[in-house]
Order: sequence, then structure tokens, then C-alpha cells
Amino acid sequence: MRKLNDLNFYELLEVASDVSPFEIHHAYKELFQLYHEDSLASYSFFSGEEREEILAKLDEAYATLMDEKKRSHYDQQLIERGILEEERQYQRDRKQLSLIPSAKHSNADTALKIRDRLKMIVSSNSVIQEVLSHEALTGADLKRIRDELGVSLEEIAETVKVRMVYLHAIEEDQFEKAPSRIFLKGFLRAYAHYIGLDPDSVVTRYLKRIKN
Amino acid sequence: MPHIWPIGGGKGGTGKSFFTGNLGILLARQGFRTLLVDADLGAPNLHTIVGLSNPAVSLSDFLNKRVAALQDTVLTMPIPNLFLISGAKNKLDIANLAHEQKMKTLRAISRLSYDYILLDLGTGTSFNTIDFFTLSDSGIFVCIPEPTSIENIYRLIRSVYVRKIRQVLKVDRFKELAERAEAQNHDAIIQHPEYLLDMLREMDPEQGGIVENVLKAFQFKLVINQVRRQDNPKVGTLICKIVEKHLGLKIQFLGNVSFDERVHEAVCRRESFVDKYSYSQATLDLRLILKGMTGIADEQAMAL
Repeated sequence: MRKLNDLNFYELLEVASDVSPFEIHHAYKELFQLYHEDSLASYSFFSGEEREEILAKLDEAYATLMDEKKRSHYDQQLIERGILEEERQYQRDRKQLSLIPSAKHSNADTALKIRDRLKMIVSSNSVIQEVLSHEALTGADLKRIRDELGVSLEEIAETVKVRMVYLHAIEEDQFEKAPSRIFLKGFLRAYAHYIGLDPDSVVTRYLKRIKN
Repeated sequence: MPHIWPIGGGKGGTGKSFFTGNLGILLARQGFRTLLVDADLGAPNLHTIVGLSNPAVSLSDFLNKRVAALQDTVLTMPIPNLFLISGAKNKLDIANLAHEQKMKTLRAISRLSYDYILLDLGTGTSFNTIDFFTLSDSGIFVCIPEPTSIENIYRLIRSVYVRKIRQVLKVDRFKELAERAEAQNHDAIIQHPEYLLDMLREMDPEQGGIVENVLKAFQFKLVINQVRRQDNPKVGTLICKIVEKHLGLKIQFLGNVSFDERVHEAVCRRESFVDKYSYSQATLDLRLILKGMTGIADEQAMAL
């Protein structure tokens, strides 16, 4: 049995080194539910301090592996140490698996905590920050942010209870598919809120491009 | 050699006796000579679960030498292939079993000739409970999906861990180890028994290796009982993950047993639940668990 400190980020998240960001996000979510303070399965096993330490390690692993540049740099370190084979690195153009994490047994508190974690990633991810520096936001911009976080549209749809067709429409700038402007604003707010963005800012910058 | 399955859970009310009794009935119905032993010394009630009101003999009779051999306390049940060593007529102070008597009982149980021996254990983490639980390497933990029960399961698992190390080492060696571990971390023994093994490996790699192999030999099992619809069905899998990852012990999740309010009725009537409600989800869950443990399925489990 190896100590947590001796595990690399892939081992910590229990994923292979060449998995997609989507799978990393899914793995993180599963482990977060296991270790967070309200988890029934790990109740009483850890002290508060131990739990925070584990979650901090998971956050560090998640933040590193979800940022393309950081991940590449980290992989290079593992290759130099002989821990990772070069051909086992993640290739970005590989198709993502369509695993759909089930939100059935995630409660509202868990969703809130995951959102807090996503917010943290948003603030430290250089690609996302570059996108958010644009004055206006397009659907493609939102999709890029979502891809960086490894969050699927299915996951957003299942949690915020907005139909996939509307979420697709937002990302493809097909505004006319929303029932009305008010509905579009509501869907945008839910989408932005879920992935850890400021809903007001997203709504304002997205709708800037649409004529009244 | 019989398969010996000690069944424990740390906390009362999780359904250990119900699980033990009904699993035993299912085994017997499959044609296996199955012995149920009520090892809940302080609060025996396995006889009630299987519908026997006034057992004529009891474990105490063996300990008090009123019978010559443990086999003489075995009661033949109306269900074919099912046998019981009851605790109904145990002396009231039997829970304070002396070490020698306990060892005598453990040796006698392991010499009995049955296909399966199921031990229904008491609550808590006394040495008696733990030593019965580790009579075989295949102890089964039964808990319910509530924090109180899960907390007690972890406590029991840690107690088993420490007890095993203590049994392998000499008294003074264990004392030295415990003192060093506590000097580094004051709740090492309570919360982190794995520190003892780490420390032992540093102090004496050979002994550390021996203890590690003893701990690795365990093949624990976990059952989550009384699972309601709103409960997370993955709790058992997650508990096993925690134990394997952080204590390095092998533990397999056998499955969930659904909550069924008719269990209460069956217990009150002293009837076999799996016979009376043979098509209930709880019975089907028990059959699947049994199939997973023995690799043998009866017709109903095969149909699932």
C-alpha cells in the first residue's frame, strides 16, 4: 500500500496517463464525492485535517492535469523520471469517450462543492482566462471553456435541467432556437453558473452580439 | 475442512443475526450441511431468527463441561441440513469469557465437520468478539447505510488490524511499537493502526514482513443491509475502496440487501423470512450474495 504523497497525479486520480480531460473530470468528481466532508462512505475514517489534505492533493492533481500546458510540463517531468512512457501521453486530438457521470446520487451540496472547485480551476487556467478577457463571448468561447474543464453538455443538462437542444444552441450561437430572450438568458445563467463562471458577466457579454 | 464465515458488524441492529440465519437457511436448502453458531455471547438470538423457542442445550453446556464435546450442543433444525449451536441458555456472565475458555471454543469450532459454519457475533470490539471474527480469514461485515453503523465498522476493522499485530508480536515488542507510534502521533493506534506496520517495518523488516503477510491473508467481505430506495447503492463499494486504499486490507463488497418491512413480521413470528417471502427483493439479494460467495446458484438466483 503506497502512501498518498508517493502517488503521481494520475495514480491519485486513478486514471491512465493518456485519458482525456473529460475522464479526468469524471474521476475527480467520483473521488471528490468519496472524500468530501459529507461523504457517508468515508464518515469518521479521516480527521478534518486529513480530509482537507487529501482534497487539496486531488485539487492540485485536477488543476494540473486539466490545464494543457501544465499537464504537458508535468508529463515531461514524469518521462524524465522514467515513470511515464512518452507514447502513453495524452494526445489532444483523440476522441473523447462519452462517459456520462450519473448525478443521481449527487445532492445539491455536492454540486455546490464541485462548482467551487470548478471556479478555482477557472481562475488558474490560462486558456480559460484568455477567453474570459474577450469583451464579448461567443458560443464557441463557452464551449472552449467547457472543454478545458472537461465538463460534458450531458452533465450540465442533467444537473441544471435544461434540454440539450438549448445548450447546443447556445454553443452554436443559434439564438433563434431559444423560446424567447428571457429563456435564453435563463439557460445562459444556468450554464455559466454550473461551470463556475459569473452568470451576470456571461449573460451580458454573450447577448452583446444579439440585436434587440 | 468447513468454510467458516464469521459475521460481525460492530453495532447492534444492523441485521447480523437476520443475515446469518437466513443465509444459513439458503445454504441448507441448497443441500449443504450448515451449522449456525450463536457467538453473540452477551445477547444471543439466532435461535429466534430460525424459529427455535427453547433450545435444550447451549454453548454454556460445553464450556461448563456438562457435555463432553461441542458437537453435543448441536441442535438439528426442522429445515434439512441446518444445525444450530444456540446461546439461549448461556450463563449470564458468559460474555466475560476467560481466555482459555475462548481458545477452547475456537479450537472446537474449527474441528467440527460441516460444509459451512456461520458464526453470528456480538457487537462492539472486545477481544472475544474480534478473536471469534478472526477465526477465519473470511470475516463478513454487515452494516447499514447510516453513519453510526459505518463508523462502527471502521472501528471494528481497525480493532482487528491492531489485534492481529498484537497476536503476532510478543507482548513487550508490541508495547514498544505502540509507544513509539503514539509518540509520533497520539491517536496512532485508534485512527491509524497502519502506522504500527510502517514503524515495525523500520524497526525490524523481517517481522514487519511477517505481520504484513498475516494482514494480507485476510479476505474480508462487506454486506450493506436494509438498503432503502433513497440510499446510495454504491456506499458498499466506496467503503471497500477506503479500506483497501488506506489500510491495505483486502475486502470485497458482496452486495446490498434491500430493506423490507416484512422482516419485522417474520422475526416476530419466528419464521424463516427467505422461505415465507422467497420472491421478495431482500431474499433475491441474499441469494445473489450467496451465489457470489459460493459460486453456486440456486434456480431462483439463476433466473435473475
